[in-house]
Amino acid sequence: MSEQTPPQTDQLQRTPPPLTAPVMELVGISKHYQSRGSIFGGAGERVTALNQVSLDFRRGEIFGLVGESGSGKTTCGRLMVGLERADAGQLVLEGREITALRGKDLKDFRRKVQIIFQDPYQSLNPQLSILDSVAEPLITSQACPASEREGRVLATLKAVGLSPAEDFAYRFPHQLSGGQRQRVAIARAMIIEPRLLVADEPTSMLDASYSAQIFDILLQVREKFGTTIALITHSLAAARYLCDRIAVIYRGHLMELGQAEQVINRPRHPYTQALIDATPKFGDCGDVPRYNALLQPERQATTEEAGCVFFRRCARAHLTRCSRQAPTWRRLEDGDMVACHYADGAPDPGPEIESCPVPGL
Amino acid sequence: MSAKDQITVPTPPRRNPWRERLLDNWRVFHQNPLGRIGLILLVVFAVMAMVSVVPPLIDPMYHPMTGVDPEVMQSSAPSWRHWLGTDFMGRDILSQLLAGTRVAFMVGVSAAFMSIALGVSVGMVSGYLGGWTDIILMRLSEIIMVMPTLLVVLMLAALFGKLGIWTIVLMIAFFRWPGVARVIRAQTLSLKGRPFIDAARVAGASHTRIVFRHIMPNVLPLAFLYMTFRVTGAIIIEAALAFLGFGDPGTVSWGMMLQWVWKTGHMFQAPWWLLPPGLCISLLTLSFYMLGRAMDEVLDPRLRDQSR
Repeated sequence: MSEQTPPQTDQLQRTPPPLTAPVMELVGISKHYQSRGSIFGGAGERVTALNQVSLDFRRGEIFGLVGESGSGKTTCGRLMVGLERADAGQLVLEGREITALRGKDLKDFRRKVQIIFQDPYQSLNPQLSILDSVAEPLITSQACPASEREGRVLATLKAVGLSPAEDFAYRFPHQLSGGQRQRVAIARAMIIEPRLLVADEPTSMLDASYSAQIFDILLQVREKFGTTIALITHSLAAARYLCDRIAVIYRGHLMELGQAEQVINRPRHPYTQALIDATPKFGDCGDVPRYNALLQPERQATTEEAGCVFFRRCARAHLTRCSRQAPTWRRLEDGDMVACHYADGAPDPGPEIESCPVPGL
Repeated sequence: MSAKDQITVPTPPRRNPWRERLLDNWRVFHQNPLGRIGLILLVVFAVMAMVSVVPPLIDPMYHPMTGVDPEVMQSSAPSWRHWLGTDFMGRDILSQLLAGTRVAFMVGVSAAFMSIALGVSVGMVSGYLGGWTDIILMRLSEIIMVMPTLLVVLMLAALFGKLGIWTIVLMIAFFRWPGVARVIRAQTLSLKGRPFIDAARVAGASHTRIVFRHIMPNVLPLAFLYMTFRVTGAIIIEAALAFLGFGDPGTVSWGMMLQWVWKTGHMFQAPWWLLPPGLCISLLTLSFYMLGRAMDEVLDPRLRDQSR
């Protein structure tokens, strides 16, 4: 155990202080799902969706939450908009704890945090016209008199690139394409001008051409309203294009957090490196060194509870240390955060990695 | 805004989405031969029900209950004076048939409407709330569902004597809601997990608002479909009750007419008396059934001629 190991969570010694106060903070958030056991007793399987996750979202930034399927990133997004309750930890919105809100406070919270869902074919009520769907947050929050509602809906539809807005407003979801529906979803989220917008894989159901449009709309939204956007995605390319900072999450544990450029170009954590390597590349990449981590046959974990969560698939792991001791979530010299014993300095492909070349690449 | 988007929006602005929708659905409905036949039959019966008030106005002897033709006083074959003949005491069968149509509509539609209203409310609440509410409401509905409606109503009629027509309607409604509730509950359960309900929650909608604003419009089409089938059931139950002699003695229903035929021994003597009510019961229930089948097609997305 090295002597420079910092304390477990970062919130105690947040140095240097963030440039602007965070819009939302997650402090040691944990969430477990328990599948139901059999009727003859015996608990079901316990799944950790999030484990001790601490994040902060600064005003006006686009924050990327990246991870593979089942890594807990969607759960994190649902927690942030209040669709799920955390088992442990605190959720702080603009300095106020919001973990257990009711009544008026909850309504107030709903006005400040909105979400765009992954599947635009499922997230719009098929029986409501676009006008009704988009106006819903206005109606429930009573943000404006009924007479102004239609005008605001039309203006918002225009803002997300749906024009002529008068035409779209009176249509039903089934008459729209996927990209148009996702714009409607963005309009619904943005109509009450929330402080924080959670975008849960907003383009994974769309064609590449539509994805780019949706990204541009998100950038425009940030520009126009100064909204903080939490982009949840499995695509590092999307995260790199949009985000100011990126957090990488694996099986509910934060792996790495840092400036987008830093995380993409000089990943410190082997999992981040593996994700980058897994991205398809154009051209002749015969000489691109690839970590083999995601293709690594899973190691037998001797003491999984104690060790690093990524140990079983890690290409850089050292048996003795990584299987026994979980790495702490620590701050590096440049302010980025990482959870890996061997992350100091530039990533160094050790001998273990070179010995497992990927066949055919 | 790409050119591709522009191409997909060539239609002029539509000010009334509901009308558009209705027209779309009507087109699908209209293309279905069952729907067309059913609708034509239904219109014929509706006209019959409406003109049922006319015969007694022409002459008191055409009153379905009390209008006895003093020159006949027995069952007679169709004539110019009585187009469908008369019954055993000289009452006009056509005016009875017309009055019976009105009663059949009244019983069928009101019983179906009541059972649907109850079934939809219980189903939505049960499905949305889940937990103990769900368990209690569903066990209750199962208890009622396993009771044979006709038998129970017969026993009640035997216990309490002659039942009024509205009591019969209420009882039919009471025994027919559980099926609807179960279907609506299942539908609500599947809707509850859909992202647009989550979206409504994030948009700040209360539970009441989610149930009535976001879930109900999605289950109502199904409820209307069930309503057409429930109408059929209600008409048949009322006819069966009346035929067995437990109908409302103050009203003329088709089942009542059949009972009079049978009771007075005219089953094989007076086909002009036996056939019309029998045919009417069959055709009216058939028309509602066909209407339901056609609506089924309108509601089934796989059969819909639309890009989804």
